[in-house]
Amino acid sequence: MSKPFDRLSGTSDELGRDMVLAEALASLDPATEDPNYWFRFRGWVMTGAAGELARRRLMAELTVADVLDSWSRTLIPTALLAAAMAGIMLVRTGDAPRERHIGVEELLVSEVPRETVVTLLSDDDAEGVVMFASDDF
Amino acid sequence: MSNKLSEPPTDGELVLRARKGDDIAFGLLVERYQRAVYAVAVSVTGRHEDAEDAAQEAFLVALGRLDECRSPERFAGWLMTIVRNRSKNLIRRESLRETDQVPPGARSWAPTPDRIAETRELRDLLEKALAGLPEVQRQIVLLHDLEGWKHREIAERLELPAGTVRSHLHFARKALRLALEEMPGVPEILRKVQ
Repeated sequence: MSKPFDRLSGTSDELGRDMVLAEALASLDPATEDPNYWFRFRGWVMTGAAGELARRRLMAELTVADVLDSWSRTLIPTALLAAAMAGIMLVRTGDAPRERHIGVEELLVSEVPRETVVTLLSDDDAEGVVMFASDDF
Repeated sequence: MSNKLSEPPTDGELVLRARKGDDIAFGLLVERYQRAVYAVAVSVTGRHEDAEDAAQEAFLVALGRLDECRSPERFAGWLMTIVRNRSKNLIRRESLRETDQVPPGARSWAPTPDRIAETRELRDLLEKALAGLPEVQRQIVLLHDLEGWKHREIAERLELPAGTVRSHLHFARKALRLALEEMPGVPEILRKVQ
């Protein structure tokens, strides 16, 4: 039985390829059946890559000025809004009643009219009033 | 950059251009490596359909991650790693899915006469013979004897010592010859195809 491998063993090209094996392995190349296979393969890959390539082009075309411009477009209104909100808060803080610390004694007489005994003892006011003298002279 | 117009652009140049979305540069990279990528994919998956899917996926993944390619001049090696991983993932997915097996060699395009039938037969036999080799030997023998890559290129791109590549190639060829010789009908088919 003739064996092509025996017959041609040792045959190799300039790259040291085994030509018989190379010939046999060539049957694994899809282009042996379809000469346009690799052209179509490239087409499939390029179609699949179109979106990513477009995204990369867009990113590469953006200059520093574009980036700053886009930032400023976002930053300026945000800064203005923040400033306005801060202003409003400051104004509101100014209107709000200030906290005051008072002692217990002061609290007891707060909002009580500070009238002297003399006033209270006047004839008009003292009529029908029972009054205890306080130490508020 | 290439100084002479006649010199083809290097991988590094093409990668830098493709990073900026240059479709011509990316297309050149695809043209340059599509056969090798397919060879590695078929060496891992063992089937045309899976190899085709894995090869296409690998290019798209490579484009998406092009900024992660730290040495653009070593794009080929980086791409081969991606295709190996994609092919293994695909096999894993396929085995999980357990879809209907497509007969090896089945193609959507119309066949041309007898030679195609013989080529298909040979391809089926080769796929069986290749399946008996370790994965690294399949890759090396396909890249060397099918794609024509030199030992040095394979060593560099698969990140293996050159001596290891030669040794794997030697054993792969020996095993492949032996397997093919033992397969009934192979010598006749080979004679017809040659």
